[in-house]
Amino acid sequence: METRTEVLPANAAPETPMRSLVIAIAGSGGDGVALIGDLLLKMAAHQGLYGMLVQSYGPQIRGGESAVVLRIGDREICYEGDDTDVLVCFKVSDLKRFRGSVHLHDDSLLVLEEKDEGVLPDWLGATKRPVFRHPFATFDGGVEVAGEPKNMMALALVCRALGWPESLAQQALAERFSHKPALVERNMPTFRKAFNLENVPAITKLIGHGVPLVVETGNEAVARGAMAAGLRFFAGYPITPSSEVMETLIDELPAVGGRIVQAEDEISALGMVVGASFGGVPSMTATSGPGLSLMTEMMGLSSMAEIPTVIVDCQRAGPATGMPSRTEQSDLYHAIYGGHGDFPRAVLGVFDVVHARDVMFRAFELAENYQLPVLVLSDAYVAQRRQIRDGVTDRRDKPRRWRWTPEDGPARFQLSGDHPVNAFRVPGTPGGTYMAAGIEHTEDGNPTADAGMHQKMSEKRFAKLEGIADDTRTWARTLGKADATRGIVAWGSSYGMLREWVAGNPEYRVFLPEILHPFPLEAFEEWRKGLAETTTVELSFQGQFHRYLCSLTDMTAVRSIARSGGLPMSMRELGSLLAAPAAKKEKA
Amino acid sequence: MKAKDLRTELQPVWCTGCGDFGVLKGLTQALADLEVAPEKLAVISGIGCSSRLPGYVKAYSFNTIHGRALPIATGLKTARPELTTVVVGGDGDGFSIGLGHLPHAIRRDVNLTYVVMDNGIYGLTKGQASPTTELESKRSRGLGGSDEQPLNPVLLVLSSGCGFVARTHAGNMPHMREMFRQAIEYPGFSFVHVLAGCVTYQPRGYSDQLLQRSYELPQEYDTTDAGAAINAVRDGRFALGVIYRRPLGAAAVAAGATEDEDWTPPDAVLKQDLPTE
Repeated sequence: METRTEVLPANAAPETPMRSLVIAIAGSGGDGVALIGDLLLKMAAHQGLYGMLVQSYGPQIRGGESAVVLRIGDREICYEGDDTDVLVCFKVSDLKRFRGSVHLHDDSLLVLEEKDEGVLPDWLGATKRPVFRHPFATFDGGVEVAGEPKNMMALALVCRALGWPESLAQQALAERFSHKPALVERNMPTFRKAFNLENVPAITKLIGHGVPLVVETGNEAVARGAMAAGLRFFAGYPITPSSEVMETLIDELPAVGGRIVQAEDEISALGMVVGASFGGVPSMTATSGPGLSLMTEMMGLSSMAEIPTVIVDCQRAGPATGMPSRTEQSDLYHAIYGGHGDFPRAVLGVFDVVHARDVMFRAFELAENYQLPVLVLSDAYVAQRRQIRDGVTDRRDKPRRWRWTPEDGPARFQLSGDHPVNAFRVPGTPGGTYMAAGIEHTEDGNPTADAGMHQKMSEKRFAKLEGIADDTRTWARTLGKADATRGIVAWGSSYGMLREWVAGNPEYRVFLPEILHPFPLEAFEEWRKGLAETTTVELSFQGQFHRYLCSLTDMTAVRSIARSGGLPMSMRELGSLLAAPAAKKEKA
Repeated sequence: MKAKDLRTELQPVWCTGCGDFGVLKGLTQALADLEVAPEKLAVISGIGCSSRLPGYVKAYSFNTIHGRALPIATGLKTARPELTTVVVGGDGDGFSIGLGHLPHAIRRDVNLTYVVMDNGIYGLTKGQASPTTELESKRSRGLGGSDEQPLNPVLLVLSSGCGFVARTHAGNMPHMREMFRQAIEYPGFSFVHVLAGCVTYQPRGYSDQLLQRSYELPQEYDTTDAGAAINAVRDGRFALGVIYRRPLGAAAVAAGATEDEDWTPPDAVLKQDLPTE
């Protein structure tokens, strides 16, 4: 079985482990914390360092406390790390929102406001280094007033500690504010004043390979991957955490000759996509859970009328409104089973930013080849992160829909063929007129209420899944050494953390499907041979992934680690959960 | 080109005497008048008695799901503006479940023609009240929503800024053919309200009552006067004819619309099909 296997550098060559640093910056709304993270990541990318940045907000998305966690290193990074090497915090009381996102170790550098007397919480851990205090805020009679930009000071201090030159910061600022050069000039004196302080402590210096790299978010990668796969029509409705897919396409799709519509709701968004694809144009929408709920009936139409569609779902936490900016892996059931009646669809999962592009190509390939809806499950953790990646040039041929010509016969939905997919009749083609329908239909597309025909048409439509299962037998990734005796099965954005987990815990190996439905079962069965123990790991309270696997194969004695989302799972948490007695064993 | 060149072999499932037969005929006549070839025509519908119509027209047709014909047609027309795209449906499909899409389709002004066969009843589900069923009718027959006022769909589309609004009666073939022809020719979103009888779930003589309440707009009526258009649809009678036609290049007249000399109707922008291979 040729599953795509990653043997990690840390396994293959333990003498050169990845060097990396985790930097966290916490502040209030208006402190410009996000900008610091953004600039540091740009500067790292410019030097050929890798990294990723995750942002954390309160429930309202705009305003309130915000924090960024940034990890940079000399290898590709898709996990934000367990321990914070540098923490800059403008106000200790702001920290409470970020429990679980920051954790100090013995040698962490802690930078605090000079006059802040707040008490550090116990969960934060402690450092043995002396705290570095800096007068970020301006006070007047004990009350904080507007002063010089705190984020410029923080940026300067971190740059100085990292040993990065001022010119690098200036360049990053100039790029970021290319439309406002005066702003950069106005802020540089504040930067320099902090940068040139005598007593700034130094931290590990990281050295990149010198070739500038690309910074991209998960949502941008999804949008660009789709364009590279041939996307020419997009319709969407704003929703956290997927909106940037649409925003990126508003900026970039017209340039490749595509069109985009912001719809009045998600029903309409997928409706427009179905309409454009009925017209023969590769089309997609992107949404999050609540939008997917609204799209569900239309998904059935796409499958029933055999019209290719690609639907990206950036999963967020909870039902109804839930926690819009937080991540979870709980739309799996909806993606695989959602909707009335029996209809086939394919479901793919996204590991990280790099993987997103590849997944989008595969999604279009399946949709166009099999004329059905293909769902791509991303999540807030992948969608919203910024990740540094190698530049890519996709040279693959774009998927092409099989177009009808008169030799392909008179029936649009032919039952007698040896293949469940029929040539697609693109409007405009003389002689090919037909009626597509959401109503059950005969081979010609005419309405029918015949039970036998419904059975035959269902067989034809579901036969596509057999074809897909055959084409995608190897669409899974395994991590770790083949002879490891402990197995972890997970999916989607758990990839990043597990990739590092197996590097540090060689007794483990990991199986991650790239296609969730139809599931690459053969590859999974092959992989699990020789395991002494197996655990499923996921961010779903119900354990949707575990239960789904139970419906496919024997999962007796397989342990389920499943919790609701909010925060992604850290290696520290995984370690303690794996070490705990298996109370929830054999959950089915 | 003749109307029957645009007919499939399928026989309509409508009840004998249904107003939709006339609409099918009038629509295919208008399309034939305009020499629209079957392969260049798309007819999109939702669900309902009248939404069966695409099956009877030789075209790239799509009988979609209840209430969603407009989004699907908008996607198709945006991607493939070279196709003549006609959306058909009933009052339940368009003014109840699908109403949320209507003002937005109008706002986008994508060059679609939307024909609503309004028979004031849910026929396919056997006679429930629709958004246009009269109060008295609901009360006398004990239908749901007997205290709910009916909707005035033509006033609604006018106030949303629709560029072409016409009303016709399914029993008047020459008038219908003419209204459809003008609507299809109009280079923007056009709306045709068809008063259509239901012989099964409306009382005997319903279609004639509609006709009695109708009158043709006089010759001197100015179709470019939005104020006159709104006045013409505010009383209990049915004005027949072109109620409003926005002059080309003029901005939409609707609450909230901005007069902008630089505004270009989308039809002027979206002329060419996106590539399909």
